Formats: sequence, structure tokens, C-alpha cells
Amino acid sequence: MQPRPDASPVDHARHRVRIVQTGEVYQCSEVETLLQGMARIGRKGIPVGCLNGGCGVCKIGVAVGTVRCVGPMSRAHVSEDEEARGICLACRVAPVGSVEVDVVGKLKKALTFHWGAGAAAGGAGAPRVQQTKET
Amino acid sequence: MGVMRIGHVSLKVMDMAAAVSHYENVVGMTKTMEDKHGNVYLKCWDEWDKFSLQLKKADAAGMDHVAYKVEHDADLDELKKRIEAYGIKTKMLAEGTLPATGRMLQFKMPSGHDMRLYAMKECVGTAVGSVNPDPWPDGLKGAGAKWLDHVALVCELNPGTGVNTVADNCKFFKECLGFHLGEQGLVGPGGAIQAVAFMFRTTKPHDIAFLGGPTPGIHHASFFLDSWEEVLKAADVMAKKKVKIDLPPTRHGITRGQTVYFFDPSGNRNETFAGLGYLAQPDRPVSTWTEDSLWRGILFHSGEPYPAFTEVYT
Repeated sequence: MQPRPDASPVDHARHRVRIVQTGEVYQCSEVETLLQGMARIGRKGIPVGCLNGGCGVCKIGVAVGTVRCVGPMSRAHVSEDEEARGICLACRVAPVGSVEVDVVGKLKKALTFHWGAGAAAGGAGAPRVQQTKET
Repeated sequence: MGVMRIGHVSLKVMDMAAAVSHYENVVGMTKTMEDKHGNVYLKCWDEWDKFSLQLKKADAAGMDHVAYKVEHDADLDELKKRIEAYGIKTKMLAEGTLPATGRMLQFKMPSGHDMRLYAMKECVGTAVGSVNPDPWPDGLKGAGAKWLDHVALVCELNPGTGVNTVADNCKFFKECLGFHLGEQGLVGPGGAIQAVAFMFRTTKPHDIAFLGGPTPGIHHASFFLDSWEEVLKAADVMAKKKVKIDLPPTRHGITRGQTVYFFDPSGNRNETFAGLGYLAQPDRPVSTWTEDSLWRGILFHSGEPYPAFTEVYT
């Protein structure tokens, strides 16, 4: 994954990002998204999806601090009400200062039908299925 | 008679300017018109009808509808009867509902996806014309895709509740629309669950694919290239333009396609692929992928799960 062409992270202020669930901490430039900043240095914690605001897997809640929205987010995944409460997609927000985020997207789709991955990982048996609700 | 091929896909995009730039400069399509609502229409160089992609401004990503072209206008009346007898409601949309397009028979697939059939779309010719045509035109951009080849739709599949719209779609497409099953993935105890289905009306391995998932959506819209070399070049184009590549150039076991996957600026997945795989015919034995080899069918080289490929979609 590459930073956006107009973003040169090294020349800009960096802010501390903490992922509440995992305790993971990384530094993210104010000109890259929380997801780009995380993935660029090989960190994990927030699920990485389409990177463009459409699929919703990187949905987070900003628990502490402020972020800046840098592009459109799918309303199928973040409602206006949620957005007002600090829910957003990590691929579409850049940090304005230190932030703490809750992962709420959490690859819900990952927990559902695996197209055979269940068998590949654990031998024979029924496919792995879990009831989930689309957020 | 009946359905000929995929005609167009309508994709929802959240940033129109970025979307148009992507489909022109990365996929290599040409903008052919814009309607009064600001929707933009594009075609690939080797397509002869006016558009194969409608970009629709929306506040979410995903597919608005997919349309297939039938051979004769009267086919629409025949198919309307057949679809309604099957128990699915239809609506005939008047000519001009979409610009440069004749009347469209609209209905929902069993999976809930909006589908249209039409017989007429303005023919503007390919970029090389039809008289002593060159093999390819000058000035191609990006991947230089030849045509919109197929869409792969995520269809609700929940064995716990007995819901399997992959199988439902497969039955409907076979019995009502005259599609043939080319390949399938069977999972669960005794392989009783049809989790993926690849179907064709033309002579290539798929004109539409159905993939099981928790909620309906579009997995990808796919564009055809001539060769493995062009797939590599398409990936180079994406890297140069900082487009997020989902799956670097590789081969599918299913359909034998040589492929690269990426995301448009709204997160809709695109594929550019090469290789017509094999001659698809109604009497060709169906290829079946068993649960233990299904990932080999998807990623032939590694054969290992790559969950983001199946879990991320719009």
C-alpha cells in the first residue's frame, strides 16, 4: 500500500494513535489516513478493506481526540447519526491530534461463511457459519 | 433468441470526478455521454454499443443494477411471461429510461439484485470500426480493457437458516434466462451447499458469477484483456497511479482466468483478466470444486485462504 501521491507523511506532523482493543500504538502523519498510517508501517489492528470508503470493514469509533474527514464514506456503513457520534471509516479520516479509536467494523463479514476456508483450516466438518448483523 | 451477453453494469460512486478518472485512466474506458442527472456513461474500445458502464452518483458504493442484452425486442415479452410464471414480479421500463437504450424489463433476482434486460442500445461501433479494422486502436489509456466481461455478485447464504440465494439464482438463471452452469463450489456436509456458481450464456466460462456471503452486494465488475502480459501491464498501471491492488496478478483455478483485482475510488472491486479459459457449451460437464479445494479454485497458485478477498465487497 502506498500513501496518496499528495501526501508526504515525513514532512508533516505526526500524531499518536492508540487502538483501544489491542493496545497497539503507532504514529500517523496528519496528511495520511489512520488506515494508511497503520498499514504503511506494517501494523495491524484495524481491518483493511477497499481503502476507499466503500466496504465498511475499517469502521471505528473515535473515543478520544479529533480526526479530519478526507473523503466520502458509504452511508450504507456510517449513518449521519453515527458520524455525529464519532463513528467513521479509518480509511477516510486523518488525525488532527492524538487519538484513541475503537474498532467497531471488526471484519464482521470475516466471521461469516468462509467459502471453504473452515475446511482448509480445520479439516472436515460443517462450514464455519456465524450469525451477524450488518452494521 | 433470448439473452446474448452482459450489456452494462451501473455502479454507485461517491465521487464522480474520481470515478470517471479511474475508469478512463486506469481501466482505459472512454466517456461517451452524461445524462441530466450527472450520471456518466463509458464504453471499452472493443465494444460497439454506446455504453457498458453507468456511473451513478450516490452516498454509498455498490451496484445499482446489471443489464443483459437480448437478441430481439420480442424476447422481452417472452421472458416477461416466463419470469412472472416463475413467480418473480417484473416491470417494463419505457424506452429512454436510460439514455440511448430501448425498453428494459426490470426485476429482482432471487438474491435481491436489480436486473434489467433490453434489446436495443445505440450502436456507435468499436474504436477500430468495422471496415478493414486494425487489431487495436491508437491512444489507449491505462489497462486498455476490451470489454466489460461479467459481474460477480455476493448473494446471501446462511445454511443455518436454510437461505441460499446462490442456489436460488442458479436455478432461476437456468430455468428462466437460459443460462448454463459452468463451474460450482460445493461445501458443507456431503457437499450439499452450492456456495459459488459460475454461469454462461455466451461461449466463455462465465457471464455472471454468484458467490455466497452474509449480505447481498457486488464482489467485482470484470473487464477483459488479451494476454497475461496485459494483466501485468494493468497491474503496473495501478501501481503507477497508486490504485489499491487487492490481488496481484495470479491465476484462478475456476474459469482458468489470469487476473488482477483492484478497487475503484469508491471501493467497488474491479478485475481485469485475460484468458477465455475454455469453450463453454451447454453439454460441457460442470466443473465442481469441493470444499477442501475451493481456495485452490480461487487462488490456484497458493491454494490458501485470503479472507479479505471474500469478505471485502460493496
